[in-house]
Amino acid sequence: MAERPTPPRATDKLTFLLSLVPYLIDQVRVTVTDAAEHFGISPEQMRKAVTLIAMSGTPGADGTYTHETLFDIDWDDFEQRDLIRFRAAPMDDKPRFSAREAAALLAGLQRVAALPDFAARVDVTALMAKLARGASSAPAPLAVRAGSVDAVHRQLGAAIAEGRRVRIDYVTTRGDRELREVDPIRLDGVDEAWYLRGWCLTREAERTFLLDRIASVELLGAADAHTSDADADELFRSSGADQRVTIALPVVGLPLIADYRGPDDAVRIEGDRALVTLAISHPGILGRIAARLAGGVEVLEPADARTAVAAWARAALDADSA
Amino acid sequence: MADSVRKVPVEERLFSLVLALLATEQGLTKAEILSTVTGYAARYEQGGDRASLERQFERDKEDLRDLGVPLETVDERGAEGDTKLQRYRIPPSRYQLPDDLEFSAEEYALLTLAAQVWREGSLSTDSRRALTKLQSLGLRIDDDVIGFAPTIRTRDAAYEPLSAAIDRGQQVSFDYLKPGQPSAERRLVSPLALVYHEGRWHLHAHDDRADAARTFLLRRIVSVVESTGSPATHRPGADEPVHVLAELEALWQSTIATVATRPGSEADVVLRNRPGTTDVDGRLAVHATDLDILADELAAFGADVRVIEPAAVRDAVRARWQSVVQAHG
Repeated sequence: MAERPTPPRATDKLTFLLSLVPYLIDQVRVTVTDAAEHFGISPEQMRKAVTLIAMSGTPGADGTYTHETLFDIDWDDFEQRDLIRFRAAPMDDKPRFSAREAAALLAGLQRVAALPDFAARVDVTALMAKLARGASSAPAPLAVRAGSVDAVHRQLGAAIAEGRRVRIDYVTTRGDRELREVDPIRLDGVDEAWYLRGWCLTREAERTFLLDRIASVELLGAADAHTSDADADELFRSSGADQRVTIALPVVGLPLIADYRGPDDAVRIEGDRALVTLAISHPGILGRIAARLAGGVEVLEPADARTAVAAWARAALDADSA
Repeated sequence: MADSVRKVPVEERLFSLVLALLATEQGLTKAEILSTVTGYAARYEQGGDRASLERQFERDKEDLRDLGVPLETVDERGAEGDTKLQRYRIPPSRYQLPDDLEFSAEEYALLTLAAQVWREGSLSTDSRRALTKLQSLGLRIDDDVIGFAPTIRTRDAAYEPLSAAIDRGQQVSFDYLKPGQPSAERRLVSPLALVYHEGRWHLHAHDDRADAARTFLLRRIVSVVESTGSPATHRPGADEPVHVLAELEALWQSTIATVATRPGSEADVVLRNRPGTTDVDGRLAVHATDLDILADELAAFGADVRVIEPAAVRDAVRARWQSVVQAHG
C-alpha cells in the first residue's frame, strides 16, 4: 500500500467544507460570527471557507464553470454586512459517516452509555442504530465494554452534583490507611480507572485519588467551591517518585511496564535485555513490576532496592506457606 | 482563467471533484475529470506530465473513499475493465445522510461526549470528523448537559496498523508474547475485530497457521505489525465485534479465583473494588478473563494476598515470587 500522500489536514478541511455547505443552505441567512462559532473556528477561517465555496461549482455540460453551475452567494451581504446567504447551490447534501467514523462514535457510545446522566434520557440502542444507518458502509469492527459505575462512584458523583464535602477512607500505594476530608472537583475516567480530583482539607492541597483505593465514602456538609486547572494528563504524573532504580528485563517485556515509565526514563538495550532506570515512590512498586513479567525482571541497583524486592517476595512466600 | 495562474489548494481540488461527481448521472471519464475539474484542469491544459496527474487522481480517489464518500466506477458496456472508458460518479442517494435521520439535542450531546472518549490516534481523528459531519445538521447543545467523558487510551503500538489492516482486508504477522510464557512466537493472522475489555485491547483474528479463530492482547504483541502483502483469508462478520465482546464477557463471568486478603490492606480494598468481586465468608471471589494475567496482578500484592483456588493460579503466583527471590539471591 502506497504511503498516504495527502496530509490529513487536507481531508479534514474537505470534511469541513462538505459539512459547511448544507449547514449554510439550511440556515438560509447566517452571520459569519454565528457560523464560525457553530463550527468552533475563527470568523477569518469562516470567511476564507465561504469564499472558497462561492468560487466553486460543477463543470457544466460543455466542461466549463459558468455562473449557472457555481454556488451563487450574495456578495453584497457577505462583503459589506458579514452575512452569508447563498441564492443557489449545486449541492446541499449532508455527508454520511465513513465506516471508521461511525465505528469510533459507536464504540465511544458503548463506553459513555452507562453514565448515570444519560442512561435515563437517551435510548442508546436506537441512537446506535441511527448512527449505523448514517454510515456509507458497515461500521468498522470495533467494540468496547460498557463502563461500569459502582457505589463509591455514585456517591462521589452525587457529592459533586450537590456540592458536598466528603470523608474518604483511602489506602495509599504504600498500604497506609488514611481518612481524608475532600471537597470534590471532578471525576476523570481513564481506561478502567476512575480518579477523584479534589481539594484535600487534610493536606490543604489539590490531590488526585484513585477510586479503586477508596474503601468507603461519607457525605459531609457543604463543600467550598474550588476549580482545578490540572488536566487529565497530570493524573499520571507520579508525585513523590524520587528514588531512582535501574532494572533489567527482556526487551520484549518493555511494553508491559509502560505504565511505570516516565517520559524521561532512560532505556539501554543489551542484546535481548533492556536496562531501564525508573523513578519510583517506594520499594513496594518494584515487587509489582517484578511480578508483572512473570518474574522476569531483575533489580540491578541500588543494592538496598535489590535487598528490598527479594525480602518482599520472601515475605509473600512465607505468608502463603503459613 | 484564474485557475492557470494560481495553485489550487488540495481541499479545493477534492471539493471540486466531489461536486463534479455528485452532479453527474452517467458518470465522468478520467479524461473528462482531468480536463475540466478545478485543480486538475489547469495542469492538464499545460500539458506536461500526464502520468503524475493521473497518479494524483488515483490518490484523491483513495482519500475520498477513506472519508466514506461512495465513489463508484461504472464500466462501459462491452468494454469491461477498460480504465479509459470507465466512468466515475458519486450517487447522491448513497452519499447523503438518509432524509429521515434526525438527532435530538440530547442525542447530539451524548455523541459529542462519545467522541471525547478518544483523545489520540485514528479513533480521535475519525470521531472528530464524524462530529464535523454532525455539525452540518445545525443542532445546538445545551451547555450544562455536557460532562466529562471517561477516556480510553490506544497506546498499544499495534493498534493503528491492525486497525488499518482490518480496514484494507490485509493479512499481517507479528511476534506474540503469550501470557505466562517467557518468549515470543511469530503469528500469521487475518485480523477481524478490535475489542476493548477489562482495560485491555484485544485483537480477534483468524490464525492462518493454526487455521482457527484466536484472540490476542495488543499489549503482548511485541514486534512491529507487518503486512504480509496477501489479502486476509477471512473477513469480519457483521456482528463479529459484538460476538467477541460477549465471548470475553462470558469468559470473565465464569473465570473465578478465590483469594484471602489481609483485612484493611491495599489488596483488600483494591480487590473488593474490582468489578464483579463478591465476598464469600470473608474470602474474595475475583473475576478475570485470563488466569495468567490475574496471577501477575495478584502476585503484585505480595504478602497481603493468598490464593485459595484454583491451584494453578496459586502455583503461578508462588512461581512469580520464587523467581523474584532467585533473581536477587
